[in-house]
Amino acid sequence: MKKITIYILIIGLLSIFIGYTMYHKPHINVAKKPVDINITANTLLANFSSDETKANTKYLDKIIAVKGMVTNVEFNGEKVAISLQTKEDFGSVVCYLVKDEVKKSAAIKEGQEVILKGICTGFLMDVILVKCVIMNSK
Amino acid sequence: MCLFLVSFTNGQERFLTKKGMISFFSETPIENIEAQNNQVLSIVDATSGKMAIAILMKSFMFKKALMQEHFNENYVESDKYPKATFKGDIIDFETITTSERSIAIKGDLTIHGKTKEITIKALTKKTDAVLEMTGDFFINLTDFDVKIPSIVKNNISEKIKVSFRFQHKPYKK
Repeated sequence: MKKITIYILIIGLLSIFIGYTMYHKPHINVAKKPVDINITANTLLANFSSDETKANTKYLDKIIAVKGMVTNVEFNGEKVAISLQTKEDFGSVVCYLVKDEVKKSAAIKEGQEVILKGICTGFLMDVILVKCVIMNSK
Repeated sequence: MCLFLVSFTNGQERFLTKKGMISFFSETPIENIEAQNNQVLSIVDATSGKMAIAILMKSFMFKKALMQEHFNENYVESDKYPKATFKGDIIDFETITTSERSIAIKGDLTIHGKTKEITIKALTKKTDAVLEMTGDFFINLTDFDVKIPSIVKNNISEKIKVSFRFQHKPYKK
């Protein structure tokens, strides 16, 4: 009888532990995750512009390392958005940095080529990536 | 979205923001749930008073990763319906001045593939540099076919409070 009680207790505690861990499961740490797709800003935007439905299936929620030339670095309170140039006139790839990367972004200048890694949330006028980290900057 | 922009080409004055803020809040005795989206696209045509808003569902950020996952996968099914949109008319746009006043906006809100006509009020003011609109309103999840499983029925309110804040800048193509 006693052994069964102990087993039930263990399973019960394990379930509570698993439930608690899952409930408090952390957000994706983009820096630590492997890159799903390597692509240039121009190709990424072109794919969304030409066939958004197909691009959504291909890119949404994926960790994308996008390479491009910086056209704008915007500080908005504590949020930083880096825009990357594409061949289109009024569409670009905009990457919103994680809080921890904000300090690094001070070194990024317009005209610089960078690779930014983030999660794609979709396409409005620009392709939007969030939780971005700077992979390298030349 | 682009087609909507093209129809604006005859407008003289357009205002745009790509960093509009929309947050929502569900309050129940068991828990409160909130999320915020800071990449909302909003365009206002001053000549016609028309307003168009586009929202990426996956850009809503929750404190709890698990909630964000459930929101996307189970409730709004963002893989199937990645965007929410609003297309409407600002009533009496010409009456907007540099001092804040309440303005009504009437239009179609589409979430989860379902569209409903709504009329909301926004505190609005306009200078040369910015067209600012803030406010909040309530929506019913049932209007948009968002289904809450009975297990969590007491954790999520049927009525959700939506808050917004847009600071549009003048936009020249």
